[in-house]
Amino acid sequence: MSELRADYLPEHIRESLIHDPRVAEQDLKVDVKEHRVMLGGNVATPQLRETITEVARELLPGYEIVNETTVVPATEPDGEEPVA
Amino acid sequence: MIRIAAVGDLHYGAGSQDLLRPSLLHLPDRADLLLLAGDLTRCGGTEEVRVLAEDLRGLPIPMVAVLGNHDYHANRETEVRRVLEEVGVKVLEGEAVTLDLDGARIGIAGTKGFGGGFRGAHASDFGEPEMKAFVGHTKMLSDRLERVMSDLEADLRIALLHYSPIETTLEGERLEIYPFLGSYLLAEAVDNAGADLILHGHAHHGTEKGRTPAGIPVRNVAQPVIRHAYNIYTLDAHRQVMAAAGGVT
Repeated sequence: MSELRADYLPEHIRESLIHDPRVAEQDLKVDVKEHRVMLGGNVATPQLRETITEVARELLPGYEIVNETTVVPATEPDGEEPVA
Repeated sequence: MIRIAAVGDLHYGAGSQDLLRPSLLHLPDRADLLLLAGDLTRCGGTEEVRVLAEDLRGLPIPMVAVLGNHDYHANRETEVRRVLEEVGVKVLEGEAVTLDLDGARIGIAGTKGFGGGFRGAHASDFGEPEMKAFVGHTKMLSDRLERVMSDLEADLRIALLHYSPIETTLEGERLEIYPFLGSYLLAEAVDNAGADLILHGHAHHGTEKGRTPAGIPVRNVAQPVIRHAYNIYTLDAHRQVMAAAGGVT
């Protein structure tokens, strides 16, 4: 396989993260500038957030990984909504 | 008044232990049933769904679920379903269940649903076999949902989906992926059959609230949208069902 062009690199990383069973998250945004990878989106747990950083580091050794993903809160709602 | 707790897209996997558990402790005091709108696991693994099953085990209110696309990824959806049913979660796919709660019959019809898009821009089962298979799957599930909902005799009727039936609850998502997030055929099926509420997940960047063209309330309960362990919706079991079959209100 030929070397990845920089234009297509973020999408290949996004695809690799979706297919890595440790991550399997379709909700991630990936941006690459120079040797820095920016990751965004929602994740379910703090552990998954850390795993995403590790997997991204494996995929792009030598790149700086900036993980800006957000852990979604799983607290009880305050109230209820009458719908019908 | 019936109180329904609902959430989708929990994406349980390694490290999800006790994600919901603390918020479930008070749930039996706050809700009469719990509905799960698919994508309960990360990759559809049985070890993943077992983590969720342990969090749900012993919850003393009825639990009903549909599976989502993630729950099919490992081709083990039958086992995923079995693990959930072992802890008392009724899993629906083109099926319905009726529960007697507080003197009222609550009917829930469920399907994962599928994509295709929305009115004016829906994909057609035309051309390559892959395209026919894609749209054909949505049509088959929507037709079955309409039949099951039409036969559902209950005081309150709820459609539980994973994919979205309307565009409004997708607002916030990129337009390019709308055809992969839902199909108007699901809304048409429920509008034809009549219902009091539609719940779905799948669209993490979407919006919570919308209505079908016939006026049935739709709620996107994907956890990244509601940003809680679940949301609670109340319905009056003694009101008239909206949108009679074939009618437009």
